[in-house]
Amino acid sequence: MLSSFNTLSRVGIPRLIITRSIFFRDKKNENHPPEPFKSSIPPHLEKQQQKALEEYKTNEDPSLQCYVNVSEPLPSLDMYQTTKRGLQVLLWTDLLKGFMIALGWLLREPTTINYPFEKGPLSPRFRGEHALRRYASGEERCIACKLCEAICPAQAITIEAEEREDGSRRTTRYDIDMTKCIYCGFCQEACPVDAIVEGPNFEYSTETREELLYNKEKLLQNGDKWEAEIAANIQADYLYR
Amino acid sequence: MSVAILSGKSIQWILRSSNSVRTACLLVPTTSKNVEQKRSVSWYLGKEEHRNYLSQASYFYSNPEYAQWKEKPFRNELMVETPPKRKLRNFKINFGPQHPAAHGVLRLIVELDGETVLRADPHIGLLHRGTEKLCEYKTYIQALPYFDRLDYCSMMTNEQVYSLGVERLLGIEIPERAKYIRTLMGEMTRILNHILAIGCHALDVGAMTPFFWLFEEREKISEFYERVSGARMHAAYVRPGGVAFDLPLGYLEDVHKWCESFSRRIDEVDDLLTGNRIWNQRTVGIGVVTAEEALNLGFSGVMLRGSGIKWDLRKTQPYDAYDKMEFDVPIGVNGDCFDRYLCRMEEMRQSLRIMEQCINNMPSGEYKVDDHKVVPPKRAEMKESMEALIHHFKLFSEGVVVPPGTTYTAIEAPKGEMGVYLVSDGTSKPYRVHIKAPGFIHLAALDRIARRHMLADLVAIIGTLDIVFGEVDR
Amino acid sequence: MSEGILAKVGQWFKIMRHYGGIKNTVLSLYRYDDLKTGNFIGADKYGNRYYQNTRYFVGRSRWVQYADRVGLDYDASQVPPEWHRWLQYITDDPPTTTPLKKYPWMIDHIENRTGTSQIYVPYTTVPPKIQSWQPPTPSTTTQNISSTKSQLQ
Repeated sequence: MLSSFNTLSRVGIPRLIITRSIFFRDKKNENHPPEPFKSSIPPHLEKQQQKALEEYKTNEDPSLQCYVNVSEPLPSLDMYQTTKRGLQVLLWTDLLKGFMIALGWLLREPTTINYPFEKGPLSPRFRGEHALRRYASGEERCIACKLCEAICPAQAITIEAEEREDGSRRTTRYDIDMTKCIYCGFCQEACPVDAIVEGPNFEYSTETREELLYNKEKLLQNGDKWEAEIAANIQADYLYR
Repeated sequence: MSVAILSGKSIQWILRSSNSVRTACLLVPTTSKNVEQKRSVSWYLGKEEHRNYLSQASYFYSNPEYAQWKEKPFRNELMVETPPKRKLRNFKINFGPQHPAAHGVLRLIVELDGETVLRADPHIGLLHRGTEKLCEYKTYIQALPYFDRLDYCSMMTNEQVYSLGVERLLGIEIPERAKYIRTLMGEMTRILNHILAIGCHALDVGAMTPFFWLFEEREKISEFYERVSGARMHAAYVRPGGVAFDLPLGYLEDVHKWCESFSRRIDEVDDLLTGNRIWNQRTVGIGVVTAEEALNLGFSGVMLRGSGIKWDLRKTQPYDAYDKMEFDVPIGVNGDCFDRYLCRMEEMRQSLRIMEQCINNMPSGEYKVDDHKVVPPKRAEMKESMEALIHHFKLFSEGVVVPPGTTYTAIEAPKGEMGVYLVSDGTSKPYRVHIKAPGFIHLAALDRIARRHMLADLVAIIGTLDIVFGEVDR
Repeated sequence: MSEGILAKVGQWFKIMRHYGGIKNTVLSLYRYDDLKTGNFIGADKYGNRYYQNTRYFVGRSRWVQYADRVGLDYDASQVPPEWHRWLQYITDDPPTTTPLKKYPWMIDHIENRTGTSQIYVPYTTVPPKIQSWQPPTPSTTTQNISSTKSQLQ
């Protein structure tokens, strides 16, 4: 009799004890409201099913046990769950919950920054606009070894070298096409004398492309302008270089 | 009774309503007049009225000349019997490349019947840069930044797969710390990618709020990227033979703090989306891929696991430090957009778990191999030792000489199986680089998935495929 | 930032005192889109003033008020390197307490000049390698001939 009652309720005929299942929930009994489909197996096969499941679990490939099913279980058709879902649809609880979460953010501090006045954090490793550095004496560092030209993946660097009047080897041309540059930082890693660096400046956007074809003078000027910070950043990061 | 004959279109509409009339009409020979040319609305007398009129106005025929005139045929009957001859074509539209829901430069030629998608033909190649060919002319180290730019939403995993491939060719084992750092950054990248995937997916189907919340977190990950490598996006951090630099002091502590705050953020998004009826209506049962189909279409990653296939390269073929990590791999059952969304959410939580394990168990020691034929020496060493300087010059000019060999190395990138096929001919430049990008295969299956869906569901499916055009077009 | 309403009102008065009167507060709001109070950390020689208030999170806790002479033409590149380092949280020490090294060959800070008349125009820094051929004038030819003759002799 009981089993037939269960099957009846499963096909959608509501139980007669609706009110009890909604309003008088037996909190002590954990299986109330009952789990969906728990007794879908005929009682005389339940033990067999249990056994098969255990067997499957023991024989299962242990490497597959890490996979967990996250998809939502099929909605239960018992009266409590069905009524709950119906009430949720009617009372807009899901939407209201969303509104409340979103409204909660209204009271929090804004997370945006007011850019030209406030700026986001950077690290000493930041790779921005290029600069050619000088020694403390004012002598330019670059010795035209052309390692940066060789390593540059985008082939953005062009170097020409000549002997200077005093006999030292220096570049006559050091062009970086900043429109080609991919800011990978390989040039500063390659440079054996720390001459070419990618400085901390990223606010050098231009209105024309020509302004981004940097020549040696521009790069040296960048170095003279940013040297104080570049040196301090290299100093701050020297442990990791 | 007078009959109104409208333009041919309305007649056709009437015809359409009754199938039997339509088939009967189709038998009419084609020689009859094409009524479609008649566009204006004309009024004629009805047949009976015409007859009545004629009988009443017999004087009309008093003139014998008039009697010779022939009766005008009834146009309305003619109309009913003659079907409009026309060829029916479905409506085709260009979806993208400027569409806000077309991620990047996706261009779809969508064939529509009303609002139902009959065919969605992706036209790719707008972001083609020839990465594979370019890599053949670069040394192994120079080709690395190109891998950042493949899937530009998960940069470090691309570097990771390339580095692993080169290391396999070189036959070297990287230090433990490098492995842990790579695992940490790889999982951070997974979160970075899933944030974008879920945020943009939700944005595409109309939920704007999670996008802003998640992108705040994405900004923080960008800052972590910047702190460790110097670039917010294209890091060039994971290199063959380890990683480029060591983690800065206090880095792991900050990552740990961020992990704590981020798990709350996931819960918020979960609360907002998972139970939401609009989100459910837009995703549940949309873009269903069965397990068999997913295997046949060559899916990988979340697209495969959402359909219930238990497959994750981090578990099946662990690389780096994944064999020492404890984590679960979420799988779905239904294979629809909603299950894939749930998988992504759970994967982010599991990523946090892996990150915490990496932080807790981070070993000390070297962060790159101690072989100066593979990685350049430290700067301080290079400035003091002649041998190191020579190594430095050799590495940055000629590059790493890789012994001849072939490898296909694949990792579980956030989007799926990211693989690189490397052929080395014993020089310092790869002979061939082929990239197996997950997005390409997923996009190829778009037509199959999106068929018979509504146009708006197509947007949801594109969102769930998680396509990034850097890797599709390469 | 979890404070009572009174504290919020008090904050408003504080802000108005900080900017110096209601009129200045409104003007500042127009210029900076934001009203914040903080400790004055220092000023550079271009007139930019730097403030800090650690009550805000990192990213908002340090800010610059650009020099009054630029008016609404403020630009992010007007921050000189030493303050740039502090403003972008690379270091916690402002240059007022720990000044950076200075060399005589360093130049003053230049802001991004794109769109002005003083833009950088690229030019080549090497002399041309190929000289165009100059057609010989009669005087030079005679000179050349005489010189070659002398060389031959």
